[in-house]
Amino acid sequence: MFSDLSAQKEGSSLLCRPASENQGPVFERMLLAYSPCCERFKAGERSFGRQYAHIYAARLMQMRPVLSARAQQKWGTDVLIRKLCDMETGEQCCIVGTLFKRMDLQPSILKEISEEHNLLPQPPRAKYINESDELILEDELQRIKLEGKIEKDKCVTGSVIAIYGAERTDGKFTVEDYCTADLPLQPTRPELSSDRFVLLASGLGLDSSQGDSMLGLQLLVDMVTGQLGDLGEQSGAATISRVILAGNLLSQSTQDKEASIKAKYLTKKTQAGSVDAIRVLDELLLQLVASLPVDVMPGQYDPTNYTLPQQPLHRCMFPLSSAYPTLQLEHNPYQANIHGVRFLGTSGQNVCDIQRYSSMDSHLEILEETLRLRHLAPTAPDTLGCYPYYQKDPFILEDCPHVYFSGNAPTFESKLLKGPDGQEVLLVTIPEFSSTQMACLVNLRTLQCEPVSFSSFCTDEDEECEMNVSH
Amino acid sequence: MDFKRRNGGPLGGGGAQAKRSKTGGEWEDSPSQFEEELLMLEEAEMEEEREGQAGHNVIPVGDLFSADLNPRWRRPPAPSLDPSSDTLVFQQIDLDYYLGTRVPGMPGQSQGKVPIIRMFGVTDSGNSVCCHIHGFAPYFYVPAPSGFTSAYLGEFKRELNSAVLKDMRSNKDNISVTVLAVDITRKENMYGYHGKHILDFLRITMAMPRLIAPAKRLLELGFKFGPFPAHNYQTFEANIDFEIRFMVDSDVVGCCWIELPKGKYRVREEKSTGSMDSQAPGKESLCQYEVDVGWTDMISHPAEGDWQRIAPLRVLSFDIECAGRKGIFPEPDKDPVIQIASMVQRQGEAEPFIRTVFTLQSCASIVGSQILCFTQEKQLLQSWAEFLRTVDPDIITGYNIQNFDFPYLLNRAAALKVNYFPYLGRVNGIKSVLKDANFQSKQMGRRENKTINMEGRVQFDLLQVLLRDYKLRSYSLNAVSFHFLQEQKEDVQHSIITDLQNGNEQTRRRLAVYCLKDAYLPLRLLQKLMCVINYMEMARVTGVPLTYLLSRGQQIKVVSQLLRQAMKQNLVMPVVKSQGGEDYTGATVIEPEKGYYSVPIATLDFSSLYPSIMMAHNLCYTTLLQKGAAERLDLAPEDFIKTPTGDKFVKSSVRKGLLPEILENLLSARKRAKAELKKETDPFKKQVLDGRQLALKISANSVYGFTGAQVGKLPCLEISQSVTGFGRQMIEQTKQLVESKYTISNGYQADSKVIYGDTDSVMVKLGVATVSEAMEIGREAAEWVSSHFTPPIKLEFEKVYYPYLLINKKRYAGLYFSSSADTHDKMDCKGIETVRRDNCPLVANLINTCLQKILIERDPQGAVDHAKEVISDLLCNRIDISQLVITKELTRTAQEYAGKQAHVELAERMKKRDAGSAPNLGDRVPYVIIKAAKGAAAYMKSEDPIYVLENTIPIDTQYYLDQQLSKPLLRIFEPILGESKAESVLLKGDHTRCRTVLTSKVGGLMAFAQKRSTCIGCKAVLKTDAAVCDFCKKKESELYQKEIFHLNTLEERFSRLWTQCQRCQGSLHEDVLCTSRDCPIFYMRKKVQKDLDDQTKLVSRFGW
Repeated sequence: MFSDLSAQKEGSSLLCRPASENQGPVFERMLLAYSPCCERFKAGERSFGRQYAHIYAARLMQMRPVLSARAQQKWGTDVLIRKLCDMETGEQCCIVGTLFKRMDLQPSILKEISEEHNLLPQPPRAKYINESDELILEDELQRIKLEGKIEKDKCVTGSVIAIYGAERTDGKFTVEDYCTADLPLQPTRPELSSDRFVLLASGLGLDSSQGDSMLGLQLLVDMVTGQLGDLGEQSGAATISRVILAGNLLSQSTQDKEASIKAKYLTKKTQAGSVDAIRVLDELLLQLVASLPVDVMPGQYDPTNYTLPQQPLHRCMFPLSSAYPTLQLEHNPYQANIHGVRFLGTSGQNVCDIQRYSSMDSHLEILEETLRLRHLAPTAPDTLGCYPYYQKDPFILEDCPHVYFSGNAPTFESKLLKGPDGQEVLLVTIPEFSSTQMACLVNLRTLQCEPVSFSSFCTDEDEECEMNVSH
Repeated sequence: MDFKRRNGGPLGGGGAQAKRSKTGGEWEDSPSQFEEELLMLEEAEMEEEREGQAGHNVIPVGDLFSADLNPRWRRPPAPSLDPSSDTLVFQQIDLDYYLGTRVPGMPGQSQGKVPIIRMFGVTDSGNSVCCHIHGFAPYFYVPAPSGFTSAYLGEFKRELNSAVLKDMRSNKDNISVTVLAVDITRKENMYGYHGKHILDFLRITMAMPRLIAPAKRLLELGFKFGPFPAHNYQTFEANIDFEIRFMVDSDVVGCCWIELPKGKYRVREEKSTGSMDSQAPGKESLCQYEVDVGWTDMISHPAEGDWQRIAPLRVLSFDIECAGRKGIFPEPDKDPVIQIASMVQRQGEAEPFIRTVFTLQSCASIVGSQILCFTQEKQLLQSWAEFLRTVDPDIITGYNIQNFDFPYLLNRAAALKVNYFPYLGRVNGIKSVLKDANFQSKQMGRRENKTINMEGRVQFDLLQVLLRDYKLRSYSLNAVSFHFLQEQKEDVQHSIITDLQNGNEQTRRRLAVYCLKDAYLPLRLLQKLMCVINYMEMARVTGVPLTYLLSRGQQIKVVSQLLRQAMKQNLVMPVVKSQGGEDYTGATVIEPEKGYYSVPIATLDFSSLYPSIMMAHNLCYTTLLQKGAAERLDLAPEDFIKTPTGDKFVKSSVRKGLLPEILENLLSARKRAKAELKKETDPFKKQVLDGRQLALKISANSVYGFTGAQVGKLPCLEISQSVTGFGRQMIEQTKQLVESKYTISNGYQADSKVIYGDTDSVMVKLGVATVSEAMEIGREAAEWVSSHFTPPIKLEFEKVYYPYLLINKKRYAGLYFSSSADTHDKMDCKGIETVRRDNCPLVANLINTCLQKILIERDPQGAVDHAKEVISDLLCNRIDISQLVITKELTRTAQEYAGKQAHVELAERMKKRDAGSAPNLGDRVPYVIIKAAKGAAAYMKSEDPIYVLENTIPIDTQYYLDQQLSKPLLRIFEPILGESKAESVLLKGDHTRCRTVLTSKVGGLMAFAQKRSTCIGCKAVLKTDAAVCDFCKKKESELYQKEIFHLNTLEERFSRLWTQCQRCQGSLHEDVLCTSRDCPIFYMRKKVQKDLDDQTKLVSRFGW
């Protein structure tokens, strides 16, 4: 990544005597204007007295005009847009509605707790799709089974789409074509004169036992803070103006699920499993925030609430690092303007959930799909926990981000997507650091993204046993 | 019919107040004694009423059909039938009889009214058939008095005829001939062995079925004719239903295929109005084919081979919704029927092909279903009746249609004067009327059932089927569908139904969807449980009509088989007066040696014990030697046996018994069915065969019960007590044999020990260490012991329990190994609190889990720990309230109950709070026991679970521990921990000391109390609303993590529970309305909402 930068300097500064007694050059960290836009994910007054119907209703209401317009674009302005209750059998028309996929394999809490079935726990599966799945479209009042030209395995519950076709006499709807809301409009991106980087990492996976993984992590910290490599690399590090940690700072093992079901008399004296790991995290963050701003997003395994949007980690857990104003504890999903470049992303729950409930496997593909659906997390609330919003659905994309990412992916992938209205979006799936020892750098000037690997011990590839700070 | 005559009549049984005897396990599902009694009382009565119905005097004016009906509803068009060249083949599903005039060209008495059998059925192509069968007349037997010759026949007939005529109070039908014929036949009395003494019997044929009863009575009370003195004749086979008589004589069994050969039958045509041609009567039924045939001309095919198939019967399932008023159960004279949903399915197909909802007021369309909207309720009812007649279902099902939907519809139609409504049967002009039938049984208490006549259609109320065949915790449709289909349905409260109806077309649509689901579920259940197939097979095996299986007891099935078998041997069945008999000793139980066995326990079972005893020892009515008979007949000692109870029976070498023969037929048929089942690949045919072998097994077992039923058609204590006597002896003998052979001294690893034995099985500890060894020795032992018994008695090795927990008599649990020595087939629990309904679910679940830990995981310590944890959870208020809910049915009002009862008191209290949501009579009342002031009566401590949740009322956890959990827990743990230790380990100790005390939001002093925040860490009272005190500040992070984690868990639950309900109700955009308390997550989702709000508040004190 910075190799082109360092190449400009003559030779390497590492394999030579220190130039002088003093510290050598100091590279000024280049900071960028930053404005968080997380208003819509703030918790505010929370109440769980309500049900989930409202969020679907709000979603459909907000999406309908967009989809109607798209439908007219696609099938002509004279296309008949109907509600299900007004539709007549055999009539060619377009329906806007929320998809529902009835799935036999979907884990059901009912089955789990029913007395007859507590003998057989449902086997955990990587995928819950099955041949017997049924696709159903629902509008405010009714639902109808879908058949025809629509890939049921690719679709997920909660997506709002427009379908075109006709109802058959047997009460099923034959889909001839369908469309999604597609990318929203995008604000213009200011030009940057030089390369500026934002480092994205996720899935640090800290736990109480500090093993080998810590070395890679320390390398990451050292690289970012400019304590690694030669002068060229240090100067390169100075161009990293921000770090975003996209969730799962702690590992799954800190989630002591047992504790919540164990009897109270046994757990009275025990403490949460995350306490030690949080302490390590605090120390780690301390090193980072001393040198540059860090945005910390919570993820699935981090000590905050479960439902989306997840609220920022509490300051009280970071007695050391929270003293610095550069520690930004953020929401998940995350939204911010970094020097006019609009970032939007999640810690990955939305993508993982869709992966489980559809045939799609590539996180990048899923990410793109959500952008086309104009919705961050269509499967919420059905299979992805989310707060029962009342009059709004905060996960609808109102405008198009420039960088759209999701964390905790199995591998790094990225793609520059061009939208129909000239949108340019960088899609990034941030690999899980604990398993890949990789992070990635986004160049705000070019909207390019490259992975950075910190794999310190390659057991299988001996030749490459050097520390691999670029790729 | 006046009551006096009924009581005085010979059929009355003279108020037989017989105590129902203990008759062993297989007979428990038989109808109560009172029912049998009523049945006998009603027989004569019914006969008369049914005949009255056939009078066709109430033909409605006008047409039963309107023109604008959906053509899809109709049956497939019926090709015209030419009797001279076409044979007609159909499956009969119901038959009855009526009195009519003889049809020319058909056999039968030409004078007056004759009984005509009416058979309804369906052809292979799905066309309906109504077949009038002529020429069969009822008859019975009396032994000819000594000296009787054929010369006296005429006189006997004349005298009896006039006596019967004289006996009639009125003669509205102008009967002149009551006795059609008297013949002499050679027959033998079935009851007792008389040395094959064939006697002259008089076969008396009567003109009508209802004349049998008076003739029988007159003959029994003393009848005098000609030169013969007055004599009390014993009657034979005078108490047989006419239909059964016909079926036996013509070899027709329930649901069999009937063939009418060409040239032997006549087709009836549509009656053109005006021309009443008596030469060829017109159609009387709504069936597509209506034919006349002589009873000897039709061919009945035994249900074998190809004739086992099932015609494409039409099954209609429906459900109605009524708009009740707040707090009052709908009353048909006031509250309208607002929707009727119907689904029609062809038997054997997967999905219903007609789905309709009839609604009052407009209703938005539902895809895939036809909606018919009406502005007038009258019109709605009328149209639905037309719909039913057009669809012409063979079987009508639904949930509780018999006692709710049909009665409500009929009463409502009467209140609105919808005159064409109540013609729901297949015969023109016969009105469907509602009758009450009382029903009493020990298990269910007194119930009033309703019956509605619907000629030619089988009513198959799923609720009645389930009540008969399954023991469940709850019989609500919701609970039942969850149990069998793992599917929930939305449960809409009565009060909301009216609101939905009064809303707009969309809210009514929602109601319609709900209503459709209620019509659909019974169909699904019927399919899943294979009710139709199983019942049909049962009807075929036992030879009774399908409808009898639901409306009658077990006895009729045995009678039907007995008569068929007796006829072949020229035996006749006597009419016996039922009387209370003394009890006889039941099955034996070898005293259990309680304990936890962590070694394999082999179980040896006598397969079909009672039937095989009867076969082995030739126990039958026909082989019974009554007192002194052996001497009188001068039988050699080797000709008869003496049973353990001292009764004597001749051996099969002298005479083979009827019952053993019936049993042999049944069991060999079962063997055949099982063999065919193995070969069969077609899943539908497999179902049929499986249903068949099951029906055969049940029938074989019910034969023994029949002989033991004291208030039955032909009880025979000698047989039943001998059977159990042999059973006892065999169990003892098995024990001795096994324990004598499998000993160390005989070269086996250890001395074997029979640790328990019950009715037909013994459990043996063989002292071997592995399942496979136990299986091997078990098999060998079974074979060896069997060789000591008369065949077909056979001891079979069936299973090994390993490990085995023997708690007490009829209470044990074990891991069941049968098919393989390596993996268990299931966990088998007998008599342990798993289904008892007066317990809360917590008990069953805890016991179940503990047993699993003990048996499957072989971790008794783990089971103890788990029990302790659950007890701790209970005391800390962490148990889901649905686990603590006890439900009882509100069968009477508070005044009617003698003592005060918790659920009744609660219903009264709820009525005062809100009459709308209070339980009505007949509802099941769920309640929990709450903490109350010391000394409060137990019945005052019941409370509505919802009210408890909403107001955080503390639960009386001690009650649950002491009254519900402790006994069953101690029972299973005593064999493991020892009697004295179990209590101290489980019910005392650390885990009982940590308790959560809730403070109620209502009542007491709570209104005056002021709540102050305490430190989350140390519970110190705080001045501000901060999370922690200064001292705990350094631990804030830890404390926060613990609390946030709790919140995290709650949120996950919340989202999973509420989305589950959305899926269940089948809508994303509408709020969940369901109030099904049977649903396991109903209380949970309510509680999680509350807990989550509380936890959010707590966490927010950290400053979020």
